[in-house]
Amino acid sequence: MIIFSERVNGMYRDIRAAINEKKKEPIVKVLKEQLAGGADVIDVNLGPTKGDPVENFAWLASVVHEVTDKPISLDSAKPDVLVAAVPKVKERIGNTKLIINSSTADPDCMAKLVPLAAEHGCGIVGLTMDKGGVPGDVEKRVECGAAFIMQALGAGIAPGDIYIDPIILPVNVAPKQPVNVMEAIRQLRVVNDPPPHFIIGLSNVSQKCLMTHLLNRTYLVMALAAGLDSAIMDAADKELVEAAVSAEVLLEKHLYSDDYLKAWRMQKGIA
Amino acid sequence: MAVPDAKEKWSSSINTVTLGATKAQGGTRGRTVTIGGQKGIPFMKFEGEVPNPPAIAIDVLDIAPTDWPEELAKVYRDVWDSPAKWAVRAKELGADLINLRLDGTHPDEADRTPEQAVETVREILSAVDLPLIIWGCDVPAKDQKVMPKVAEAAKGENCLLGAVTEKEYRTLTAAAQAYGHKLIALSPIDINKAKQVNILVSDMGYPVTNIVMYPTTAGLGYGMEYVYSILERTRLAALSGDRLMAQPVILDVGYEAWRAKEAKTGDEAAAQWGPASERGPIWEAVTATDLLQGGADLLIMRHPKAVATVRKAIAALVA
Repeated sequence: MIIFSERVNGMYRDIRAAINEKKKEPIVKVLKEQLAGGADVIDVNLGPTKGDPVENFAWLASVVHEVTDKPISLDSAKPDVLVAAVPKVKERIGNTKLIINSSTADPDCMAKLVPLAAEHGCGIVGLTMDKGGVPGDVEKRVECGAAFIMQALGAGIAPGDIYIDPIILPVNVAPKQPVNVMEAIRQLRVVNDPPPHFIIGLSNVSQKCLMTHLLNRTYLVMALAAGLDSAIMDAADKELVEAAVSAEVLLEKHLYSDDYLKAWRMQKGIA
Repeated sequence: MAVPDAKEKWSSSINTVTLGATKAQGGTRGRTVTIGGQKGIPFMKFEGEVPNPPAIAIDVLDIAPTDWPEELAKVYRDVWDSPAKWAVRAKELGADLINLRLDGTHPDEADRTPEQAVETVREILSAVDLPLIIWGCDVPAKDQKVMPKVAEAAKGENCLLGAVTEKEYRTLTAAAQAYGHKLIALSPIDINKAKQVNILVSDMGYPVTNIVMYPTTAGLGYGMEYVYSILERTRLAALSGDRLMAQPVILDVGYEAWRAKEAKTGDEAAAQWGPASERGPIWEAVTATDLLQGGADLLIMRHPKAVATVRKAIAALVA
């Protein structure tokens, strides 16, 4: 699976303070932990930080780029910020792969972000929601996902650069949604060949729950079985990552060997 | 309506392994042999390049065999008391490499000493200039004494040494590492073990790109399909990006094919099966050409007629 590191996010106090004070060290420390755990993509999210968000994105991306060449996912719910940030970040860090995270399936939002991704060769995350907000059912998720995939493919974006996010909500407030997300992935996977990627912001499922790690781990394994192949998650959570690798062995994504965890780490260059 | 393009696109390729070393490379071989490097499933050139055709090694033993069928004895009997002369014969018959089996070091055979084994290796190295594959006698306690000495004596020649297994890998890996040789990683028709051996060996710091995999072999009529399916699954894993399965593959075709009664039984006992002089070589050639389709890069063979037939098949497949 493709692991998007969730940790460089201004929602976390250490990162928020680091962005506000433009201090690299706390970010570098977190990055190294995430990379050592197996992160493939570094998701960067400003959270409630001070200052110009475009400049903050450019600074944060350059800090990440000093540590790793891995792709960077620019995470913002504000399309205009992303439209301004992508060229600015490109200018700062050159040809590192960027992923725009995210667009909704609302036509106005797609009109801004899908051509931007196509123009700059970026990956793009499409949320299965429109102006009506996050759907409670499977059908609306599938409808929005299909609309986004059509729009992105039409703009010339390859399926491998499209990430569909069916939006997972906390199980304590939206108990039906974990199942609905899995069903939406199954249905969208059936009708798209080759399929796009499917991604979730994993930690959301357990927000404000007591057993967050156990819930994240269990749901990741379930969702992988339903066809998920990427997640924004804590790559430094060893038990979480090992559960995911085990699930992928059981799904025959990797060939089993007694040291399959080591094999996975060797191939990532983190053994 | 246009025919849809059903070509597979592979993200990865088989490792390239070069065996032998010329003078310029620190050895004494006349040429080197390179195997692997395929970018698609076997011989599907429209999906991926086949840069190196499969190579053929011919068997040479360090003692005269006592159980070889007459059809093989006819070819080698006059030279098999001398491994050096035997090696020259193998070269004349078209071998790309010499496959030396130190069967004579087996405690139940001639129990030859490490020094005698070294002598044999030296004789062969000076008699022929082909790259060398060297196997122990498959008794770990004895191989641990013999193989490091042999590896040292052949230093610089970039030989292929066999074989490391899940249980026995430290001594031979260390010897290959110290004296610059390539390694055969053996797993008994078990793809999971094949991966595990590669993990263990590379965990010792030995480059995974210097390994040739040996998933064992079975002859036509004796479980060949099991080996075939393992070859196929291995190749699919490798081409999809599993770097621990991307090693080229060696198969012991001659030994396995000639164990079959259909190959080794003489004319008197099986007149209705057709002449033994054709039957045995055909059995070996068919085993080889079938397994090549599953994904094999280096074949160990015995009968010159079978070698010639398989060469022709390879030439046609890569043309």
